[in-house]
Amino acid sequence: MSIFLASVGFGLITAAVLAIAAVGFTLQFAVTDVLNLAFAAIMTLGAFVAYWINQAGVSVWVALPAAMAVCSAISVLLNFLVYAPFQRRGSSPITIVIVSLGMALIIQFGVQAIVGGVNVSYTMGQGTTLRAGGLILTTVQLVIIAISVVVMVAVYALLRYTKLGKSMRATAANRSLARNCGIRTSRVITITWALTGALSGLAGTVFAIDIGSFGPTSTDLFVVLILAAVFLGGPGHAYGAMLGALLIGIATEVSAAYIQPDYKYVIAFVALLGVLSLRPSGLFGARA
Amino acid sequence: MFRSTEPAAGAAGHLRCAGAGGARPGRAARTLAAVAAAALACGLAACGSSPASGGGNGSIVFADVAPFSGPDAALGPTYLVSCQGTTNAINKAGGVLGHKVSCTSADTKGDPADANPAVGSLLARTPNLSLVIGCTSDEAAAVVPVINSHKTVMFCMTGQSEFDHTHYDYFYRLVPPDLAESYAMTVIAQNLGYKKIALAFGNDIGSQTFVQPAVSAIGKAGMTLVANETLDLNATTFRTEAEKIVQAHPDAIMTEALGSADPTLFAEIKQLNNGRMIPIIGTSAAISPAFYQAAAKAVGASAFAANFHADNLVTATSGPAYNAFTQALLAVKGKVANAQTGNFTTYFTAPGAVHLYDGMNLAALAMIAAGSTDTAKWKPFIATIGDGVPGAVVVNSFAQGVRELKAGKKIRYEGPGGPTSFDAFHDSPGIFQIDTYTAAGAVQVSGNITSAQLRAVSG
Repeated sequence: MSIFLASVGFGLITAAVLAIAAVGFTLQFAVTDVLNLAFAAIMTLGAFVAYWINQAGVSVWVALPAAMAVCSAISVLLNFLVYAPFQRRGSSPITIVIVSLGMALIIQFGVQAIVGGVNVSYTMGQGTTLRAGGLILTTVQLVIIAISVVVMVAVYALLRYTKLGKSMRATAANRSLARNCGIRTSRVITITWALTGALSGLAGTVFAIDIGSFGPTSTDLFVVLILAAVFLGGPGHAYGAMLGALLIGIATEVSAAYIQPDYKYVIAFVALLGVLSLRPSGLFGARA
Repeated sequence: MFRSTEPAAGAAGHLRCAGAGGARPGRAARTLAAVAAAALACGLAACGSSPASGGGNGSIVFADVAPFSGPDAALGPTYLVSCQGTTNAINKAGGVLGHKVSCTSADTKGDPADANPAVGSLLARTPNLSLVIGCTSDEAAAVVPVINSHKTVMFCMTGQSEFDHTHYDYFYRLVPPDLAESYAMTVIAQNLGYKKIALAFGNDIGSQTFVQPAVSAIGKAGMTLVANETLDLNATTFRTEAEKIVQAHPDAIMTEALGSADPTLFAEIKQLNNGRMIPIIGTSAAISPAFYQAAAKAVGASAFAANFHADNLVTATSGPAYNAFTQALLAVKGKVANAQTGNFTTYFTAPGAVHLYDGMNLAALAMIAAGSTDTAKWKPFIATIGDGVPGAVVVNSFAQGVRELKAGKKIRYEGPGGPTSFDAFHDSPGIFQIDTYTAAGAVQVSGNITSAQLRAVSG
């Protein structure tokens, strides 16, 4: 029982990190129509930006906003220089996906060219380990969960109550109609790239804090988990991504407690296939 | 409630109409597309293989075929340090029969699927390729037959037992089979008085090959296996695996999970074990600057140094062979990409650096002894020079070997990895020592493992 509860706790921390990334990814996809597979590579870049600042003696928590800002700027530039021109030329969605895959490799190998093939860690403590009812979490992990909850609430508030959020939803639902209604969709799209880029920087940094030791290729598998969470919840659905992240995070850790751990992601994807076979549009998507 | 219903092509089409007022956007898009395509091509090229230094006309090329990316990315640069250092020393001593020697590399990513095309590309673009080094357990099964059929001599770092009894004409190995390393790790646990052992090995080919021999040896040594976790090297955390290990209360953990896996596991075990590390017994692959740096960062240098042992092949730590070797490596300090991290002196005991240095020197001296760079002519001299013949003069460096050969003498090469003794399969397994790290990352020898001890736990 104790290993079950412990693994549920570990699943929560995995889900917390995954949720930030999945929400950013799905918002980006919904509003911009770009399934940006370079998202995880930008996360890695963000993690290293925070690392470089951290190595200068600055707390990683202080470095975190800088990582978000850099990733935000990189994402906007990525769209401006790469994706938007392809979209303007009428490239098909699959072409954009392949381009994004290429950008992921370029960014990842670019980072590797700078830092080498080594793994690094932030200079920081993990805080006190707290145990309650079988759950085992450090204070740093609790902070990460708190950050994730704040981000989820903020995204909800943004989409629900702000003019920008409504414009994003309208752009996602029907870009032409939104433009005809007076929404400056290109501006909304640029702001979306900036916001979701910042989320990728945040996700990358808390991901690196969480795993302790990271390198240029650390997010290779994580991007698959992001896709799983997004598609489990229903692509384009922010709330679906939150739920998808929670399910994937807990499923991977709990399954690791009872089966050979290197199959834990297989279990998560079997669960994903099971859900999608019943609801092809995902948990929050329209019924097929 | 938040969903994109507009087809992307439709949206793009709409935008194309809106932007059709002038020709500039179209040109810009084409230009950007070309730039992106070129960048993509560059990026993809970077995934494959890349020359470390040129192999111009008249030069002889040694190729480092090993992982430069992926979880085992630290191996390739370690071997490249050895290659650059060795070839630099060879060139300073006049080269090989008037030829300069240079290094190139092929990134296998530690995956057979990536290794084969990388080697194919290497063979195609390197007509003057004379020697391959590296070929770790990650990719050896895939690339050794290919390199062998290309009739290129290779000194491999694989420990896979299939090479103990499969004959490849051009395959040479100066490291022991992995099962011997499993036995050596078990002997270390025995020596330290541990009774309960947990295993935590990566799910890559190179790491999994240790598991069954270790399970067998632990039983034979009278110890108890309390946990056996296989770590997905692409996973980002191992919290549940760490908690299972902590709950099993092992005295020590035997492990090889390279990349970020082991450091992450160590950190999570320390966290879940109330801030205390569980003693770690690693393989010789853990003796590298990159591994030390990542592990020390993850759990603290002093905690890691106090709780870590690894088996390693006996290598010289002083004497003429060691001096020549360290001078060769120091000459390229800071000049090899991706290898500038950590304590450089760790390379002096890194198995890949030491034994590949010896392999390259053996090959170069064999060419000189044969008076030819034709592989068919110089290959037989590897065993002759390595194992020696009656009356042979012992030499400890390439330069010394050249001098003696020019004087018309027969030589036996004994480098920092010690004397060789090749069997019918061109294997020359060495003997083991026990290594630890200081808190500063320097490697120190804390004991030796005898053949009798290995036999006592072997299955």
